[in-house]
Formats: sequence, structure tokens, C-alpha cells
Amino acid sequence: MGLPKKGPTLLKKKKMEDDEEEIADLSPEVSDSEPESEPELESESELEDEDLKLAEPSKNAIYNTDGIIDKLGDISFPDNVGWIHRLSVDIDQEQEVDVNDDLARELAFYNQALEGTRKAFEKLQAMGLPFLRPSDYYAEMVKTDSHMEKVKGRLLAEKRRIEEAEERKKTREAKKLAKEVQAQKAKERAKQKKEGIESVKKWRKQRQQSGFAKDDDGGKEMDFSFEDGKAFERSGKKRPGVMPGDRSGGKMRQGGGKGKSQKKREFRNSKFGFGGRKGLKKQSTAEATNDFRDFKKGNVSGNKKRKR
Amino acid sequence: MGKKRKHSETVASAPAKKDAPERPQRTILGWKDKNNTNNNEAQVTESTVGFKNKEKDNKVESKESKGATLNELVELKSCSSCLFFECRKQKDLYLWMAKCPNGPSVKFLVNAVHTMEELKLTGNHLQGSRPILTFSSNFDKNAHWKLLKEMITQIFGVPKEHRKSKPYHDHVFVFSIVDDHIWFRNYQISVPHNESIKIARGGLENSTLIEVGPRFCLNPIKIFGGSFGGPTLYENPFYISPNQIRAIEKKKKAGKYAKKVKAKTRRKVHELSNPLEPDEFADMWKE
Repeated sequence: MGLPKKGPTLLKKKKMEDDEEEIADLSPEVSDSEPESEPELESESELEDEDLKLAEPSKNAIYNTDGIIDKLGDISFPDNVGWIHRLSVDIDQEQEVDVNDDLARELAFYNQALEGTRKAFEKLQAMGLPFLRPSDYYAEMVKTDSHMEKVKGRLLAEKRRIEEAEERKKTREAKKLAKEVQAQKAKERAKQKKEGIESVKKWRKQRQQSGFAKDDDGGKEMDFSFEDGKAFERSGKKRPGVMPGDRSGGKMRQGGGKGKSQKKREFRNSKFGFGGRKGLKKQSTAEATNDFRDFKKGNVSGNKKRKR
Repeated sequence: MGKKRKHSETVASAPAKKDAPERPQRTILGWKDKNNTNNNEAQVTESTVGFKNKEKDNKVESKESKGATLNELVELKSCSSCLFFECRKQKDLYLWMAKCPNGPSVKFLVNAVHTMEELKLTGNHLQGSRPILTFSSNFDKNAHWKLLKEMITQIFGVPKEHRKSKPYHDHVFVFSIVDDHIWFRNYQISVPHNESIKIARGGLENSTLIEVGPRFCLNPIKIFGGSFGGPTLYENPFYISPNQIRAIEKKKKAGKYAKKVKAKTRRKVHELSNPLEPDEFADMWKE
């Protein structure tokens, strides 16, 4: 925090546009007559500040140079007053500063202050006078400690906010990168698969062309690219709870993971049966035929009429 | 605005030494207007007048003959300069700077005020340390700027060996003329801690400036020959009072509705004077 942040000069900017229009409203005839009569004034009127300016200096404005110089002579310090009493430094302003360019303007002020400090320091140094306060010199400051606490809190909060934003940005970027990597991987896998299929096709064609001649060799020529076991190698990842042939990744067994509907399904399965052909269940088998458990001999009460 | 004055004794009672002629005696009295409710103003007062060589005083009550009252007060306190903040309509802040027994005095319009209370201005410095005043070179351009420069030097500078001043210099004032306004900034001179010892011998290479505030921009309106009065020596030819600006704005706004009504009637008249030609196909499909 070397250079303090230049606070936007809030007060001035917002009215700028209105002001320009007003100037036009104010003195249409003045601005018309201006260019030929007093061209140097145009620059004056263009320099808009937060407050309006007359486009043209009013004619009856008083400027009593003699009086001013008189007064200046009256109030100014006598010549024998040393610099140490005034402590003022004049700084050359290299070029005209644009008022409406906040940054340039503040920079100009800052440079002026810095230059002034240097000059004053040199002079004081030459006189052998102390300049900055020693670090162990404590005295009342312009701003109170509680105020400075607030300032510090604000600075810290700002820093934190910036850090957080950075963090967010980083994660976002990482996510993007991860996505890209994922896509790359998928592409590679697809490519590998395609290659495998291609090689099989090639081999088949070759075999066909050669009229299955070397078939009796016991497939010695079968040198697929996947033969080295690479292509179909399982990824080393363990998949807990997934059957070896399961392509759904264990989702089938979990039944979609919906607990309630799962229960319902089970109930219905038990009630109405599930799986296999119904017809087979209903056919009588040898076992069923030989089963006499249900056949009660002594019970004649059933079909009395028929028996008799 | 509870900025009552804390120190009733005048600063002019500095011990009169033998080298008195060599050291200009000056004291400053700062006042605020009675009807100041403008927040900005208080802060400016506090920070500029608050440097301890200056006296703070109560608000001035009387509305008419303000100048006379002020002069009286200054005399009572036997001060040599005066800063008076005048607030009008609770929004326009004017600053009077006056050299007191016999002038001159200047009236400024103050705008673009940022107070020391703002948290963006992070610097801090000793209360009562003597500021280094820096002026941009265009203060020597015209007579009235020269006069203003002299007045500012005397009013804003803290006298050497003032009773309440501190013997170190840790802040810089910037007075710069841009666009015919005097811009004020106040910076703290700060040097990294471990180098503060070295600085006694070496240069100021690593020093940075931190803004303390306040910031404001002074637009000189008039320079008078006497204190709070007297013949006008200078008049800003480009100055428009904020009242006028507001009036223009209002007038512009007022014109809006009138314009609308006018346009409506004009349209009506136009329609009446140029009636549509009867359409020959109007009842074509009517049978």
C-alpha cells in the first residue's frame, strides 16, 4: 500500500454532461461568436469543472493589479525571514493537467508532494534539523486510534475480499481444466476402442485373403494390437459392490436407488410373481402328479351325490 | 456541530524573544457559520483549523453584519488571520480567508470535499507537526495568485517553535492550481520502519506518501482589500454562483412539460390544416 488508492471524486463527475448542455443553453450566441473573435477562450470553456464556468470572462470583472500587489507587499513576510519559517516549496508543474482525468490529476498532486518532500528534506538536512519523527516518539495524532482501527479493518476486509475472489477464480479455472482433461481422456479411450476393432477387422480380412491357410497353425499369426492385453485391460480402479460384468456400475442392483419404489416393487413381485414364464409354473409335472398329499381317501363328504 | 473550542488562550502569547522581528507572529482563528449543518464543512474545519496553532471558536450567530462581528472577535483574540466557513442553504460551502487587522480577505467556493473521516484516506500524522507547503509553479503566474499563495503560506503554515507544534515534519500540503481552482491535498510522509534510522543520514529514496485528507478544491470568487470587506481587488470572471446553476437546471426541467404541451397542440393544428384526402377505396368491400 505504497500509493493510496485514489478515491473517485464522486462529487464532480455526475453533473458533467448536464453542465455541458447548460453551457450551450446559457450562451448560444456567445459560443457562436467565439471562434472568430477569441479563439483562445474555447479551451477555457471546454475545461469543465464540477461547477459551471462562464464561457467567456465577464467584461466587468474587477482586476486591480496595483491594489493586489500593494496588499501583497503589506502582508508578506519581511525579506529577512528565513525559509524555515515558511516551509514552502515551489514545484514546477511540467505540463497542464487535465482536470477531468482523475488519475492523472491525483498523480500530478502526488508527484508535487513527493518532490516537495525531497526538496524540504534536503534543506532541513543542510540545516541539521530533524525531519521525520523518531519511531519512539509518541504524541497525539490527527486521527484517533479508533478511527485508524476502522481504516485498518477496512483495508483488511478489502484484502480478504480480493483473496476470496482470487480463490473463486482459481477453482473455476481448475474446474474448466478438469473438464478438458476429462474430455481428452474420453477421446483417447474412444480412439483406443476404435483401433482395437479396426485391428480385428484387418486381421479377419487378412485371414480371408489368405484363404484361412494358416488356420491350422493354431492362430500363430494373430497378432492383434490387443493381444498384449493392453486394450482390454481393466482399469485398475476398484469398483466396490459392482459385479464383474456389470456395465451399469452397480446401479442395477441398487434398483435406481429409490428406496420406496423398491419396496413396493418387491411386494408386488411377491404377490404377483416375477421372472420366468408363467406357463411353466402352471404345467403339471411328474412331481406334482405323484404328490398325494392333498388327496384324502376317507373323506366322502365331498361328493356325496356323485358317489351315491 | 459540537466543535467547541478547547483552548481559550490565544497563541499570540508566544514568548517574545530578541529575534522577534525575524519571526513573523501569526495566529489564526477559525469560525463556522451559525447555520452550518453541512457535514463536510465540519470536517474541513476540524482538520485544517484543528492544527493546534489555530484557535477554534464558536459559531458566529448574527446574520447581518457578519463581517463586523468577525473582525471584532478576531481582535478580541488578538489573532492575525481568520478562516471562516460559511454555509449557505445547507449545501454550498464558502470559505473566507482573511488577514485580520487590515486585509486582504478572500472568498472561496469550496467543492469536491472529501473529509478526513473517509476510510479510503488511510494516512495519519502527528497533530501539530509543521506541514511542508508545496505550491505548483503556476502560483507565480498572476498577481492575485501570488497574493493567495502568500496568504495560504501564512494561514496554513504552522509557525516555527509554536508552543503546541512538534519539532518533526511528517506531512505535506499540496496546493496546486488546475483549471483556475486551488486543489488541496494532505499527504503523510511514510518511510519503511527499518529505514527510519538510515534516513537521518541518507536520502528519502524509499519514502512514500499516504493521503491523510481532507481534500477540497477552492474556487476563488473575490478578493477584498480589507478584512471581511473593503474594496474589491479581484473578481473571478468565470464564476457562476451555485444558485444560478441550480436555477438554470430548474428552468430546464420546467421547460419539459411546456414543450410537451406545445408539441401536442402543434400536432393538432397540423392535422387540422392538412386533412387526409378521402380514400377512394374506403367503401370498396362494403357493397
